Amino acid sequence: MSAPTVPNLLRAHLHDLAINNSRLDGRGQFEGREINLETGILPRAEGSAKVTMGNTIVLAGVKFQLMTPYPDRPNQGGLMCSCEVRPIAGRHWEAGPPSPESIELGRVVDRGIRESGCIDVDDLCIIPGEKAWQVILDLHAISDDGNLFDAFALAGIAALRSAIIPAEKFEVGEDSPLKVSKKPIMCSYHKVGGRFVYDASYKEELGGDERIHITLGDDDHVHSLQKGLKGIFTADEFAEIMEHAKQRCAELRELMN
Amino acid sequence: MGGYGDVQMIDENGLRMDGRKPGDVRPITIETGVVPVADGSCRMVWGTNEAIVAVYGPMEAHPRKIQRQDRAVIDVAYNMAPFSTTDRIRPGFNRRSREISKVTKDALESVVLLELYPRSKIRVSIEIISAEAGTRCVGLTAASVALADAGIPMTDMVVSVASGKVNDVVVCDLNKEEDNYGEADLPMGVLPNTGELVFLQMDGDLSPEEFKQAWDYNVDAAMQVHKLMVEALKGGANS
Repeated sequence: MSAPTVPNLLRAHLHDLAINNSRLDGRGQFEGREINLETGILPRAEGSAKVTMGNTIVLAGVKFQLMTPYPDRPNQGGLMCSCEVRPIAGRHWEAGPPSPESIELGRVVDRGIRESGCIDVDDLCIIPGEKAWQVILDLHAISDDGNLFDAFALAGIAALRSAIIPAEKFEVGEDSPLKVSKKPIMCSYHKVGGRFVYDASYKEELGGDERIHITLGDDDHVHSLQKGLKGIFTADEFAEIMEHAKQRCAELRELMN
Repeated sequence: MGGYGDVQMIDENGLRMDGRKPGDVRPITIETGVVPVADGSCRMVWGTNEAIVAVYGPMEAHPRKIQRQDRAVIDVAYNMAPFSTTDRIRPGFNRRSREISKVTKDALESVVLLELYPRSKIRVSIEIISAEAGTRCVGLTAASVALADAGIPMTDMVVSVASGKVNDVVVCDLNKEEDNYGEADLPMGVLPNTGELVFLQMDGDLSPEEFKQAWDYNVDAAMQVHKLMVEALKGGANS
């Protein structure tokens, strides 16, 4: 992504809106866009999901490969999360090697899923020291109108939950569903016009400042945090969005059932 | 081509493995406006191929070195999603994608009225979400629809179809097995209004008669697919 030009008019406008507790599309400070989640939509993937949040659309696909376990962890398989934001997703995304932005996206989503322990890597072992499953979660943006983080995280965990281990194809037993024991959910907040808002649109991201991503697991356990971009926030601000995140994550967890 | 020879892909009734007659095209659905942030877009499902194409522009051409003083340039990026095939594709640089991007660009630059937009570029992003066979044809055809959806002036839309030969029978619109084990593959990009061509590749082995048959299948199929494209752009039933 090339450094975007931020129109001063947009920043000023976002500031005015914030004073009146309003947003560009009329949403409340902590109001999210309508979310639609579909699973099992990619014929060639072993697990898949599509998330639509307003005009943001992402796909997640799960593939399996056989791997040799690492010598220091002979009883474990692997989980890899890879993210690509290609030029299809918006005019501000360019072709070429992965940008720092897309690498950050992939890594933050990966941490939330990995650290929640929702996938037991010991379960992925087939023959200790010889053969294990590597689960690869590929995140692919189709349309970026802001908050790819939350869309990717939701699509990612939903795709994993729909995945079937293709043991028959690799001739190592019978196909079975991938065990995913928890539902880590990410909520992202952007400082726009001087206050944090939930689920920012692309324009709000463009004319806003720092952002904070929170991934909460079942029982509100915190699994990953990330502060991105230039900006300063207070402990009180963080406490406020954390409160909202707890409530919102619970709602989104329901969406997956 | 593989030419594994003993794989039987045409049954005693002359039907193919998926039940099609030699001249039949796989089922196709076309939808426009699927990438809301783009200027034009198209989703095309062709058999179990699925391509999503977004068009951005005309916009400032940068880096400056790609600018042309007298016309626009088209920047095509064809890419297969990592989960689009049976075995995962590693993301990143890939010679096959580069070549397909180039020939797709060459085809599209032949129909878009580039002189209307000097010094600018039109970006065409083709993402293959699910691959069966003939993804370059689906990508190119869907790109034409996306360009039209973006309101970019063109002399015609390119319709691309690949015919080939399996078990010594010439067949239209190869599927995965036919592509893998067949004896020839002839993808073409046809302009339905004039019958002219802007895209042509071939590999394998075809006699002059077989070549003629494959060529005719492609042109006929292109005319059928063109109807669906026009319908989709008009907001027709299958869009």
